[in-house]
Amino acid sequence: MNNSTHRFYGHGIPHVDSEELGGRLIVVEGADGSGRSTQIADLVSWLETSGHATVQVGLKRSTLVSEELERAQDGNVLSRTTLALFYATDFADQLENLILPALKSGFIVLADRYIYTLMARDMVRGMDESWLKNLYGIAPEPDAVFYLSVEPEELVQRNLSKTATLDYWESGMDLGFSRDLFDSFLKYQGAMGEAFRQLQKTYHFDIIDANRSVSVVNKELRKKISLLLAEE
Amino acid sequence: MKTFADLQFPGRLIAVEGLDGSGKSTQIYLLKRWLEAEGIKVYFSEWNSSELVKSATSKGKKRELLTPTTFSLIHATDFADRYERHLMPLLRAGYIVLCDRYIFTAFARDVTRGCPPDWVRGNYSFACAPDLTMFFKADLDVSLNRILEGRPKLKFFEAGMDLRLSNDPYESFKIFQGRILDQYLAMTKEFNFVIIDANQAVEKQQVIVRKLVSDRIDLKRFKRRSLLPLPPSLHSRRPEPEPEELDKEEDKMA
Repeated sequence: MNNSTHRFYGHGIPHVDSEELGGRLIVVEGADGSGRSTQIADLVSWLETSGHATVQVGLKRSTLVSEELERAQDGNVLSRTTLALFYATDFADQLENLILPALKSGFIVLADRYIYTLMARDMVRGMDESWLKNLYGIAPEPDAVFYLSVEPEELVQRNLSKTATLDYWESGMDLGFSRDLFDSFLKYQGAMGEAFRQLQKTYHFDIIDANRSVSVVNKELRKKISLLLAEE
Repeated sequence: MKTFADLQFPGRLIAVEGLDGSGKSTQIYLLKRWLEAEGIKVYFSEWNSSELVKSATSKGKKRELLTPTTFSLIHATDFADRYERHLMPLLRAGYIVLCDRYIFTAFARDVTRGCPPDWVRGNYSFACAPDLTMFFKADLDVSLNRILEGRPKLKFFEAGMDLRLSNDPYESFKIFQGRILDQYLAMTKEFNFVIIDANQAVEKQQVIVRKLVSDRIDLKRFKRRSLLPLPPSLHSRRPEPEPEELDKEEDKMA
């Protein structure tokens, strides 16, 4: 694999030279039920079998704040700015401790969601897009971002068949769209899709139709990643 | 940057800024005592005191997990929590809110640690400017002596050890505080700090502080109509330090 360098979206991280960042950063975005985790698990084993070293990151997995963030969310006591900054702290901790060191060592980093989900969630809650862009100027630009797009109606079916219920946060119940979980889920996922389309204008990610079967989507992802890895 | 008065809030926010050991906390405490005695609706909020974020901050500091970026973000989270849950509703309800340190502390420290000034200011841009910001300017030696006199054990981040300025915590603390002071002084004009000479006697400063506050703010508008109990301030119900919470003092300072 070649040693292409990365750029930061904005100011970046103090004392980190983006020139030193090799490796590859591949992001998979999408709602719960879009097949994100399944696809990533498959991509990891495919890449490792082909001899690539990988590192996986996701949201709310940092050593620094993940527990506290979980606890705060359980009580649902955070206001929107606080929630936005708490998630940004979680992201930054993983960025500096996992993503950047892995890129420096030439790994392929697979991110199970990245700044776009965080930005979309905050936008739906009324945070200013330019404020978010400044905040996440610390993030390196990925080599590829695949947004697994699924219609809200299909997401409902997939989530219910998996857990027989809909998640409080994935239904945006904190927003008060509706007291009814089912209605709220559809409205919230619709709003999230809208926010992603808005962000796509700036961040140009690859929108993948994930209403299709896992294997069809997987084939498309592998093909796109193979091309990426072949690039000099 | 607009103040709360500019935005027609019924309440007013007064902030004090300055180095550790500048005496600002003493001064804002005495101001609070006076306003309370005058029957004014007043609330006191301290930097780095959100219950919600505290355990993450303590862990980060104790285990030295923080980088300039996460140090900045976790303090911004703490501030946002206090701002959205306490300061905003209180200011809407016509309180005088006293802040021991405000966003300028972050501007000074985070930039000293290497964060880009635009990034830090952007992150805090949800916050309005105080209606009055008093900067307690003591000679660097005076502040340093007040803190270092008892040869306290300086904590890693408090001493700025993460900046690798010196292997000696005391030496590091001195250089770090000097740089923060430079950052503060560079902001004085931009953010309309009122500079208070903190080399003077406590009583003398307090006379100046009280005069300044009553000149700037029409205090009788903030009198409480009936004697309702004050909302609990985080400051007043600080528990006895437990063994695992020994870094309370550090939290207050660093």
